[in-house]
Amino acid sequence: MEKALTLFLKFLPLIFAFGFVIPVIAQGTKALEWTPPLGLTPLWFALIIGGAWGLFAQIKGRWL
Amino acid sequence: MNAPVTDILPADLTDLSDSQLMKLERKIALKHSGMFPWLMVIWAFGNLICWLALWPLVLFDYIPLWLGFLIATINMSLVYLPTHDAQHDIIARPGQKLRWLNELVGHATSWMIVFPFQVLRVTHMDHHRHANDPQLDPDYTSHAAGPWTALWSTIQERQPKGQRQHDYLGSLDRNGRQDLILLSIAYKLAFLAILFALAWSGYALEAFFLWWLPYHIALSYLVFFLSWAPHHPGTKQGRYQDTRSWKSAAGNIGSMGMQFHVVHHLHPYIPLDRTPAAYREMRPLLVARGCDLGEN
Repeated sequence: MEKALTLFLKFLPLIFAFGFVIPVIAQGTKALEWTPPLGLTPLWFALIIGGAWGLFAQIKGRWL
Repeated sequence: MNAPVTDILPADLTDLSDSQLMKLERKIALKHSGMFPWLMVIWAFGNLICWLALWPLVLFDYIPLWLGFLIATINMSLVYLPTHDAQHDIIARPGQKLRWLNELVGHATSWMIVFPFQVLRVTHMDHHRHANDPQLDPDYTSHAAGPWTALWSTIQERQPKGQRQHDYLGSLDRNGRQDLILLSIAYKLAFLAILFALAWSGYALEAFFLWWLPYHIALSYLVFFLSWAPHHPGTKQGRYQDTRSWKSAAGNIGSMGMQFHVVHHLHPYIPLDRTPAAYREMRPLLVARGCDLGEN
């Protein structure tokens, strides 16, 4: 249990990206009725942007 | 500034000894304490009910999301101060009849800003004991050269590698409250679980604008006005040196009464809404003690 918790906390930025940032971007895109470039769906757009941002936060230890 | 109307202080304080000054200070403090803080109790539960009501109001389209966001941001910004009075046992001390209410105010509202009440209490008492100590003050990371760096620092310290959370955990560890470390983690995990569940159920924007973003804005506001401003520059320690009085451009309400925070550090049992009056009466004593009182 302790090992699982430590691992979870270690990868929290990535988990947060997938758990929250990506759906916020996807649903925000739909709410604004904005079409992402390159024929991407809102979800794919969110996966790319949110996933990249989460990876940045994971590596750098900060979102901003 | 005109001398306050007071029936306690003599006209001339210059020849008074240390203990005489302290006696007068305590007399004024006691005059402004001991009464039941109705405002704090109503504030705590009124604020909680208001924020909870936002969810159905927004979800069922009674109010637009942008309005819910504005109100939620105010709600989040107002969470801390009632718990602060409860942390200091101002509502009721241990052994008093209404002790349960003191604890209820703390526990029932602190979760909104994702902190267990006992964590806030333990770390805040540490802050009082060790204000401005670089090693021991859990709020030391709020120190900054100026207001803009202070605001930016409030954001940076909440990043994954921010020092502030380590200082809080260190405070809990030093106080023998490793149990509260686990409880803190549990609170954070529950917060994330709720956000994730809402987000993937199609309510990501509601979760973002009614809780996540207001929570972060509120924490920056709280750390700026409750932690940075009243202790700035924060280079001195000691009873009359570690806090100051100051005049805020945001006014008394906008700065959450923190202009008179020096009185709170000297006499933390005075309710928040009585600190301005206590300050005005105590001011000549604070001048005699060499406190930093700014333009106040």
